Amino acid sequence: MAQQANHALPAGYQLDEYHIEHQLSLGGFSIVYLATDREGQFVAIKEYLPNSLALRGEGDIKPVITDDHMPAFRYGMKCFFEEGRALAKLSHPNVIRVLNFFRANNTVYMVMEYEHGRTLQEFIQKNRAVITENFMRNVFTKLLNGLREVHSHKLLHLDLKPSNIYMRNDYTPVLIDFGAARQTLASDTPMLKPMYTPGFASPEHYHQRELLGPWSDIYSVGASMYACLAASAPQAADSRAEKDRLVPAMVRWEGQYSDQLLETIDWCLCLNHLYRPQSVFALQKALTEPVEKPRPPIAAAATNKKTWLDHVVGKLKGKAGPK
Amino acid sequence: MKFTIYQESRPGKRPNNEDRLAHCYSRDALMMVIADGMGGHYYGEIAAQIAVQGLTEAFQREANPKIHDPFSFLNRAMLNAHRAILDFTEAHKLDDSPRTTCVACLIQDSIGYWAHAGDSRLYVIRGGKVLTRTRDHSRVQLLIDQGVISEAQAAFHPDRNKVYSCLGGRQEPEIELSRKTPLEAGDVVALCTDGLWGLYPDDLLATALKRENLMKVVPDLLDQADARSGPNADNLSIVAVRWEDSYVEPGSGASSAVHTRTMPLGAITTKLDEFGRNPKYKTELTEDEIERAIQEIRSTIQKFSK
Ligand SMILES: Nc1ncnc2c1ncn2[C@@H]1O[C@H](COP(=O)(O)OP(=O)(O)OP(=O)(O)O)[C@@H](O)[C@H]1O
Ligand SMILES: [Mg+2]
Repeated sequence: MAQQANHALPAGYQLDEYHIEHQLSLGGFSIVYLATDREGQFVAIKEYLPNSLALRGEGDIKPVITDDHMPAFRYGMKCFFEEGRALAKLSHPNVIRVLNFFRANNTVYMVMEYEHGRTLQEFIQKNRAVITENFMRNVFTKLLNGLREVHSHKLLHLDLKPSNIYMRNDYTPVLIDFGAARQTLASDTPMLKPMYTPGFASPEHYHQRELLGPWSDIYSVGASMYACLAASAPQAADSRAEKDRLVPAMVRWEGQYSDQLLETIDWCLCLNHLYRPQSVFALQKALTEPVEKPRPPIAAAATNKKTWLDHVVGKLKGKAGPK
Repeated sequence: MKFTIYQESRPGKRPNNEDRLAHCYSRDALMMVIADGMGGHYYGEIAAQIAVQGLTEAFQREANPKIHDPFSFLNRAMLNAHRAILDFTEAHKLDDSPRTTCVACLIQDSIGYWAHAGDSRLYVIRGGKVLTRTRDHSRVQLLIDQGVISEAQAAFHPDRNKVYSCLGGRQEPEIELSRKTPLEAGDVVALCTDGLWGLYPDDLLATALKRENLMKVVPDLLDQADARSGPNADNLSIVAVRWEDSYVEPGSGASSAVHTRTMPLGAITTKLDEFGRNPKYKTELTEDEIERAIQEIRSTIQKFSK
């Protein structure tokens, strides 16, 4: 379906007690703004505005929602509330803080703490040299602290990927965009269908939603770690299920990172959810194990497929099976 | 007529309840109906509502106080509901017609007549055993009938939710009519959606519904179903009648039984939740609910910001 893009609220617009500075991003479901509050503090404000249902013309303030679209618009709003509800309960340094929630212009807004930095997605594109073993372990261990908090509230994120992980300037990660709650609610409403970024969603996301669990977020964490190393998304789980062309991390970056880190990534990326780490805790344990020095890469031979396989199989044999 | 009847629908773990159910009775006839709007589209619940409402309205028009030709009534009313759904689709220019299963049962002169399309079921339970039940219009049921898979295997079959007949689809529904089934005092007739029957093998359901006090037995059954269902549990709905006719069981549950003998000839009692009235059935948020949701989020923010 062709969809028109929405126009953002103009800079300088007074939205409730906030002053809009400018638009930060425009997604299919919402627009995020940088704004200042009464004290002049920066905040990020997310506006619920699904572009398939509500359109704001250039220069307009209130979006147009036709009567036809009203039920779906309201239904989507319910999903937006789920996101707010989920986040409001969480108070953790690695999870974005919600500061306020209000209604205006026929729609609803979520006010968040503004974080200085950029998404992990942007970060890995621009800072290849920084993606060291230590960087990976540090960032993901902290991120998992946040995810643990999420899971301990019986919530799943379900949309973890580098573009939904924000990197503060001090390299601490923050989970943003809990479109997740929304996904579970809206998956049966075509107009509000969540858009997965292929590559990060677990296999059970696609066809077996009743199997979703912490291990599904863990798959996404694995895919995000893989993407950090590869600078691009791994093969999507649904197509892997047909023909798995994903080169195991252990093969692809052999010698550049510790075996143990690479194995951990592959462990998270098991297609069978039962073979993955079953809890964030289990994964964190693996990530905080002492690092062995990466071994020097085996030149030339490493590109030989047979050697790859022998090598991996050799390593796997030496390991205990998945827990 | 004397009977005890109980109906209830629960959303399970789904945000929406796309099941609809109703019963209504005149002095001499009782009708029960249940419909399960088809997922993949939130208009499913509208389809279910159209079906249930269409059938009850037909009953209200034609039961005076009996239905002249029960099978023809059921067949006609269900076909009309099918067309009404298509009209709705047309009027709202929906790309995809919403659909619903439907099973309806009429009891008069202590004889049961029913009709169904899809995989919502009707069971007649006598003495704690299933006397008869509808065969689902589903691919797995065909596989079972052909001996390809067993009932037990069907419970996990990937196609278990695929129905080949329903109201509102592009094809004319296949409406299957039952036989005339004489009822005995103590028989239970239960109509339910797959969210419920999917959790119980026939014999378990029959045993559960055997006990006398329907007004307690059915909610217990739903509680249990809620507890044993998974994180993605479907909507659960049931309308069950215990046919007591002239036999009065002293003591037990007698107070909740319905006597229709004293009803005026033209009177009809209907239990159907109107669309949008029951909070569980909302497709849409009301202004009030929006305000409440926002207040709730704000107070959670307050609570956790300290
Ligand atoms: N609290 C914040 N501080 C700074 N920037 C933010 C904040 N929240 C969001 N952003 C920016 O806005 C972008 C989009 O935010 P988010 O991921 O929440 O929404 P989205 O993916 O566009 O939304 P949706 O998927 O709901 O349409 C982020 O990638 C980030 O650049
Ligand atoms: Mg995002």
